Amino acid sequence: MPELRRDPVVGRWIIIDHSKGPTDFPKDDNTPTRQAICPFCPGREVRTPPEIDAIRAYGSTPDTPGWQVRTVPNKFPVLTAQDALEKHGNGIYDEMTGVGAHEVMIECPDHEKTLTDLTSEEMGMVISQYQRRYRQLSKVDHFKYVVIFKNFGSSAGATVEHTHSQIIALPMVPKTVTEELKGAEHYHQIHGRCVFCDMIAQEYNDKERLVAENNSFLAFCPYAPRYAFETWIIPKAHFADFGQIDQKTQGHLSQILQDVLQKIKKVLDNPSYNYYLHTAPVEYSNPSAYHWHMEIIPKLTRSVGFEWGTGLHIVPTFPQEAARFLREA
Amino acid sequence: MSQLRKDPVVNRWTIVATERARRPAAFVDSQSTQTDEAQCEYCQERSSKGIFEFEGAKVINSATPILDQSQLFERKSHGLYESSHSYGSHEIVIESQNHVANMADLSAGQIRAVIETYAKRMQTLRQNPSIEYIVAYKNYGIAAGSRNIGHARSQIMAVPVLPMRVDDKIKGAEKYYDSHERCLFCDMIAQELGNKERLVAQNDDFVVIAPFASRFPFETWVLPKFHHSDFAEGIKGYEASLSEIIKDLLCRFKIGLNDPAYNYMIQTSPVKNPSLFKENYHWHIEIIPRLTRVAGFERGTGFYICPIPPEMTAAFLREVELNA
Repeated sequence: MPELRRDPVVGRWIIIDHSKGPTDFPKDDNTPTRQAICPFCPGREVRTPPEIDAIRAYGSTPDTPGWQVRTVPNKFPVLTAQDALEKHGNGIYDEMTGVGAHEVMIECPDHEKTLTDLTSEEMGMVISQYQRRYRQLSKVDHFKYVVIFKNFGSSAGATVEHTHSQIIALPMVPKTVTEELKGAEHYHQIHGRCVFCDMIAQEYNDKERLVAENNSFLAFCPYAPRYAFETWIIPKAHFADFGQIDQKTQGHLSQILQDVLQKIKKVLDNPSYNYYLHTAPVEYSNPSAYHWHMEIIPKLTRSVGFEWGTGLHIVPTFPQEAARFLREA
Repeated sequence: MSQLRKDPVVNRWTIVATERARRPAAFVDSQSTQTDEAQCEYCQERSSKGIFEFEGAKVINSATPILDQSQLFERKSHGLYESSHSYGSHEIVIESQNHVANMADLSAGQIRAVIETYAKRMQTLRQNPSIEYIVAYKNYGIAAGSRNIGHARSQIMAVPVLPMRVDDKIKGAEKYYDSHERCLFCDMIAQELGNKERLVAQNDDFVVIAPFASRFPFETWVLPKFHHSDFAEGIKGYEASLSEIIKDLLCRFKIGLNDPAYNYMIQTSPVKNPSLFKENYHWHIEIIPRLTRVAGFERGTGFYICPIPPEMTAAFLREVELNA
């Protein structure tokens, strides 16, 4: 029987139904093919703007082969560094200059590999690069929020198939994050506890939505998801800011992320997916209320007009079903 | 250089590409697969009796309803979480007896029958005290979420909760009203009619604009020039001019963008306590062609990247030759 469910953080209701299992979604062919023209492959470093940062072999020079993870400015940035942030009113409207940063992190030199093929050491370098760029961008004037995200597969919005993530620094906190922060702050004000910490406790208790865990992280399918097979990875210890996690925790994050991505690949036959990090804004004043986490969303269905217009998502798979498939994979 | 723009209703920022904007013609997206008449499930409904019929439009229950009223509405909690049986109704409006795919190809009279059907169903469905919101919407084309293209239809859902994005709009409008004692949408209409650059079309009663902080390329809103919070009540006396402007806009999409997939949704006030919304909310229709894909950044942040400024899409749509 379908159900209406309410997300405890932002208060969003969704409709959930049993109509689809893992093999009932249309398939994407995400096998890499376009190696010959790939601008992210080693030896073609000149095809990207000059590198900002890289993890590379000792003695190798920037913008030449020898790198393992390489960060470059996006060739078609949506936001760019500017001298000044100008804000204007325009009647009832507000606007500001498009100040920000937009970078691409190429996750490994090998065009044939995706994140699930990396060794744990290579995956660790990706996470370590995430944090290094995140910390750097958090220090820049005018940047209030830094988003790390990945689009895998063309139906999830990837335009280059060579495995990569992106990072965008923004001069304001984006709406979805503001909603989460407000919900979490409200909960903290009433209960004096973190809503995500309480969620972790309840997920352990209920067990049916658990996907995986290790020493530092828990992976589960949220109770009121927006998408089928939506999965969150959350640190067991309370931290508001991704920038603060230590090297050991980074290792645990890369391990569980790879584990979850492998499960998703297996259960859903190498689907397209998006993931992104939700962390506290730069200089956040209420760190006891918020808890950073990662959200992974396989791209299985199209959102229709109804969902865009109302935010009332219709999800064709119950989270406990999705979690069971992923757990057993 | 791009620009950041804030939607004054829900306070959502959008990145609008300006310098490297794609040209309007780059979005042209034609669809192919159409179901033929012989296999059309909606043509087969011709002889059956609908739950409501009005001047050629027919309402039937969805064959795969996502909501139903077999049990009483009851909210349950489980620790942190809340749920309920998916109470409500899910109806399909078959817009014409004829096997015509795009609403743009219906006559203004047929569109009028569809609009009046929405209003009449809303009036009936809101009698149920468990219902909080009624949404009438359309998915046209595969990219817009339709299972097939062939026979024009739209959907009406009645739900026992206030959907989050609707609540956002209402709260934003309430906040503006609290500070200004004027309707935000009335002020928006005045500004858009004044500077004209985002104006797509207008008649005596309605205006079509490309919103200032558009989320999607070619996003448009149809707003009544006169203030009214509620669609079902507010269209009385204006049915003909609303259907004319909708037909005009849908034809601009069809001709200018080569029959793209699109969604529309009627944004109206909640069902309960209408007096709370009477002054501060203003019903409208959001119409969005489906020309781009949403990627991780937008999904994760609610922050949209609109690859073309709305001033450019409005000019493009204004200049479409409807009689060509």
